[in-house]
Amino acid sequence: MRTAMRVLVILILGVAPAWAVLGEYESSVSVDQQYLKGEIREQVRPGYKLHQITASNGTTVREYVSPDGKVFGVAWSGPFAPNMQQLLGSYFPELDQAARSQVRRRGGPLVVRTDKLVLVSAGHMRSFHGHAYVPSLLPNNVSAEVVR
Amino acid sequence: MTFRNDSKAMLARFLAVLAGALAIVACGGSSSTPTPTPTPVANTVTAEVNAGPANNSTNMLFVTVTVCLPGTTTCTDIPNVQVDTMSEGLRVLSTALGTLGSSLPTIQDSSSNVLQECIQFADTTYIWGPVATADVTMAGEKASSVPIQVISNPAAFDVPSSCLTLGNPGPQGNLNTVATLGANGIIGLGNFAQDCGGACTSASSNPPAQYFICPQNVCSVPAVPLNDQLWNPVALFAADNNGVMITMPAIDPGGQATASGSLIFGVGTQTDNALGSATLYATDTGGDIRSSYGGISYPAFFDTGSTGIYFLDYATLGITECTDTYGNPTGFYCPASPVNYTVTNTDGNGNGTTGSATFTIANADTLFSNGNSSFFAFNDLGGDSGSGPSSDSVDFGMPFFFGRTVYIGIEGTTVPNGVSAPNGYFAY
Repeated sequence: MRTAMRVLVILILGVAPAWAVLGEYESSVSVDQQYLKGEIREQVRPGYKLHQITASNGTTVREYVSPDGKVFGVAWSGPFAPNMQQLLGSYFPELDQAARSQVRRRGGPLVVRTDKLVLVSAGHMRSFHGHAYVPSLLPNNVSAEVVR
Repeated sequence: MTFRNDSKAMLARFLAVLAGALAIVACGGSSSTPTPTPTPVANTVTAEVNAGPANNSTNMLFVTVTVCLPGTTTCTDIPNVQVDTMSEGLRVLSTALGTLGSSLPTIQDSSSNVLQECIQFADTTYIWGPVATADVTMAGEKASSVPIQVISNPAAFDVPSSCLTLGNPGPQGNLNTVATLGANGIIGLGNFAQDCGGACTSASSNPPAQYFICPQNVCSVPAVPLNDQLWNPVALFAADNNGVMITMPAIDPGGQATASGSLIFGVGTQTDNALGSATLYATDTGGDIRSSYGGISYPAFFDTGSTGIYFLDYATLGITECTDTYGNPTGFYCPASPVNYTVTNTDGNGNGTTGSATFTIANADTLFSNGNSSFFAFNDLGGDSGSGPSSDSVDFGMPFFFGRTVYIGIEGTTVPNGVSAPNGYFAY
């Protein structure tokens, strides 16, 4: 029984980071870097850390890490939209839920504001930008406006 | 990777260019006779905002597009195709194509894998389906052997599984039916010649997950030459191929059931499409200009494909949002009385051109209930674009086009007034 559990735990750990990012621990950032095949830069800012990954196709993804090591926000800009499922992880379903209230709205940005998630997916073909953050994970004294 | 239709499409385009060159030589050589005035090509089609084919469309601008089997007179008129000035290429529901849907030649690689596309829009909606070639005709203008997307019925084509990792896989994301698309297709007539461009032409540069081949239902992202990507069909017209002009009538601020205007091909190429006194704003490499409000500059663009004017956010503007019966935002603004806004636009190419733009935002809940909820054209429908100044933008959507003439210039074309606009432009 114990052996089986151990195997299961390892399997989950092996798979989970592929879905990690928003709300996950910092280690998931390197998985994004592999996915984006990009260059990564790290900066320490007052109250948080910023990882910036620039993909070879020109799209930049920025991930914001709180002092306790969790990704509290992600932002992107560039000619192509990132993989939203990969970036948003377990928060991704919020997107469709919120979109169901916006049935007459089409073609512009998508703005989602729920208790769990704030997300903006904006721009147009050849130029996308947006951000997503988890309000409950924002570090003290850090404005949501830094996630840009 | 090369695709099979390359040689044929390129030959067709080469022949078209050759025919043009021969015509010029013929004119230049006949010095003893007066130079014949070229007969202007009919360059105008009716463009109308109405309820659309699913009777559920809000502020969607429709035209009829004729799609033909390349090089033949086997054609189908597709009504209710949405004009989108912020995307490129024709995408048509296979159901609207009828028998043409299965007979248009698909673009295939050397192993007969059909090129598929998953196109994602900023609002996380997506369209999928194979790429085929067709002759595309509007008024007297024709784009020969242009790659278009056939929006699939589930039964007819393989769905690239990677498609669903990009867009919203929920019901709100899927635009592959007439009910969800609210149209029979979308025709992208924006600033660019192709929908992806150079980024998709090299497999080594990590191309975006936009084009796919799916042998044995395992999809991968190939390099796709420009000729095989979806093209803005205007860029392939023999004449009037440098952009479009859209003229819409002024409408009642309470909304209307329909509003009928014109889509005119070419800018400054005929007597009916002169720039006149319009101010021309060159775009940046991504297709944006800048728009300032309250001392902050935002990315801005002009998009017939946006149902509203999506302008900053409710908190920054101090405007009331509309909510549904569950208290969730519907994405529109609901001020107690209409609010007038003036923004300052600046070009995106460093030319220093500036000018103002004015618009009004009214209560969306009221607008939608006017006329017993039978109105589909609104010039004062607005909503949020972001969650604060760091994510906000100015999306001059369909409401802005009523009562105006707006020009959209294609990258790399001659600009009538000589302004530098290598990435294209907007003018109004």
